[in-house]
Amino acid sequence: MIQTLLPPFKKETGISVDFVPMSYTDISTKLAAEEKTGKVDIDLIGDLHGGMDYYASQGWLMDLNNMPKLKGRTFIPTFIKYATINGKLVYIPWMSATYVMVVNKKAFQYLPSGLTEEDVIKGTSKWTYQALLEWAKNIYQKTGKKLLGFPAGANGLFVRFLHGYLYPSFTGYEAKEFNSTQAVQMWDYLKQLWQYVNPASTTWDAMSDPLLTGQVWIAWDHTARIKNAIETKPNDFVVVPVPRGPKGRGFIVVLAGLAIPKGAPNPQAAWKLIDYLTKPSTQVEVLKNVGFFPTVEEATNAIPNGPLKILAEGVKAQESTSDALIVMIPNLGKNSGAFKNIYKEAFREIVLQGKNPQTVLNKLAPQLAKLFKEAGIPEV
Amino acid sequence: MKSKYLPYLLILPAIVYLLFFIGYPLVQAIILAFTHNGHLSLYNFRSALATPTFIPAFKYTLALAAVIIPTQLFLALILSLIMTRTFKGKDMVLYALIIPLTISDVAGGLIWYTLLSDAGFLNKLLINIGLISQPIHFFGYQYRNMEFLAIVLEELWRSTAIVFVIILAGMQMISKEYIEAAEVFGAGYWTRLRKIIIPMLKPSIQSALIIRTLFAMQIFGAVWMLAGRDIPVLAGEGYYQLTFIRNYGVASIYALAIAALSIVLGALYVKFLKAPYLEVSR
Repeated sequence: MIQTLLPPFKKETGISVDFVPMSYTDISTKLAAEEKTGKVDIDLIGDLHGGMDYYASQGWLMDLNNMPKLKGRTFIPTFIKYATINGKLVYIPWMSATYVMVVNKKAFQYLPSGLTEEDVIKGTSKWTYQALLEWAKNIYQKTGKKLLGFPAGANGLFVRFLHGYLYPSFTGYEAKEFNSTQAVQMWDYLKQLWQYVNPASTTWDAMSDPLLTGQVWIAWDHTARIKNAIETKPNDFVVVPVPRGPKGRGFIVVLAGLAIPKGAPNPQAAWKLIDYLTKPSTQVEVLKNVGFFPTVEEATNAIPNGPLKILAEGVKAQESTSDALIVMIPNLGKNSGAFKNIYKEAFREIVLQGKNPQTVLNKLAPQLAKLFKEAGIPEV
Repeated sequence: MKSKYLPYLLILPAIVYLLFFIGYPLVQAIILAFTHNGHLSLYNFRSALATPTFIPAFKYTLALAAVIIPTQLFLALILSLIMTRTFKGKDMVLYALIIPLTISDVAGGLIWYTLLSDAGFLNKLLINIGLISQPIHFFGYQYRNMEFLAIVLEELWRSTAIVFVIILAGMQMISKEYIEAAEVFGAGYWTRLRKIIIPMLKPSIQSALIIRTLFAMQIFGAVWMLAGRDIPVLAGEGYYQLTFIRNYGVASIYALAIAALSIVLGALYVKFLKAPYLEVSR
């Protein structure tokens, strides 16, 4: 991707770019050393929100509010809100990814009373987790099949649904209210829902195949992992926002940004590269090739009709819901695996093994708190 | 002088290879497993035992081996007895039996997953010929026994061949004279099988069992593909600790548990399956 993106930029501006892929720890150590000595040799950083948040907290990033305006694009306001830390615009939203729901159009024949197709597609206040339960139940009663599915296999991303979708929708937070009363209600809900979930879910890593083979009609997964289903049968599926819970419509946005470190040798050239990478046409190219979504509104409109448009519209609908409760994956560094494991463990014990939610949550809560403490960040 | 050192020189490459590729990682694994923050400690050992999947993984690994290996031995014996006879198309049958040996465990798992899933070949076939109206569910936490069965089927299909090849080779080494002599004395088929063929196969059976048991303790790819972590096994949980949680200490404990089990079971086979060749026993 980098090979196809950078040559036209050099042709346009005469600026040559060296792209150095680095791990989060490496870049963090390098920046720390360079900012300390004042000899900075990085002009531009591309990283996820979590990383940027940390660099900004260390005071390593330039305030981009003072740079010239980037013309011909409107950044999605929520993203700008995240990129603005303590009044400073510390990075420019670059690309995003999220997890959405995919519905086979056949499922709309079995909508429960009080829920319309439009409610689901637009993500109105009637599209709730309770409605999802009624819907899945109705499908099961009418067809005898459990046609709701999740990627809860060993390599699946279901754990993101737990901490980034259900938890914020029911408790308002990902981890802070881990063993609260609302959390117990949420787990009770999931236990009920699981009666209508295809049991093979615990062996699925991605929802594309189960959707294509008709083993499920309603699925939740990362956009990249359902892309194939939509590309193969674009007329069968719609991408819709996730349902909402008592506290709002919780969902994860994976947001990558571009930032200029303080003392960078060529900030003007870096700004030109930012300008180029956030142009609507470049953003559409990125979506086509790597499946990361645009951060500027004009780019979504510029996507040609077809499978990608179906995906992008679903993503846009989700991001534009009025009750959106966007969460970011907490940046726990080396503890991020242990963080996910706690939610997986809770799911296994409560939903699969039927243990008492409160007991399980009380057992796991101190472990979760410890991970945040070790990483030195507040619970989210 | 020269001849005194020659044998050592000749095995030197093998020794160096073993030290570097087996010895060094093993020592590293032991260090990782029994140190914590640079100190000698049982912390990882206790943490591994405290993971909720350790005991189930231990049990499932042994249970799978206990079902798979005897079945494989039995199947391999029957196949070998058939293949020592002459019949038309014998070579083709032999190749067909050995083909699965070339397939990796992950690929084998994938093949059987597509075969047995709700939308898979088997269910479609059975529904189309009217034997069943609803698919037989093989996968999912609530069907763990069926997942267990799927793993057993896959392993029988894929890795019986190795046992078969060893047993067949052993069977072909048995001198016809013994069998003919037995026939002269009036021994029937079953007597010949029990009194001559199986006793003389003991060395081959021992090798086959040891090899299969070592592989069975490491079972992972097929389980990961067919049952994910619904059915935890030692190697799978070790992999999970290493790549998902990045807990190298606990992962090493899992790896060492596999090593310890292999050594113990290997030693038991050597002790209880003493296999004197008829020719050398006095």
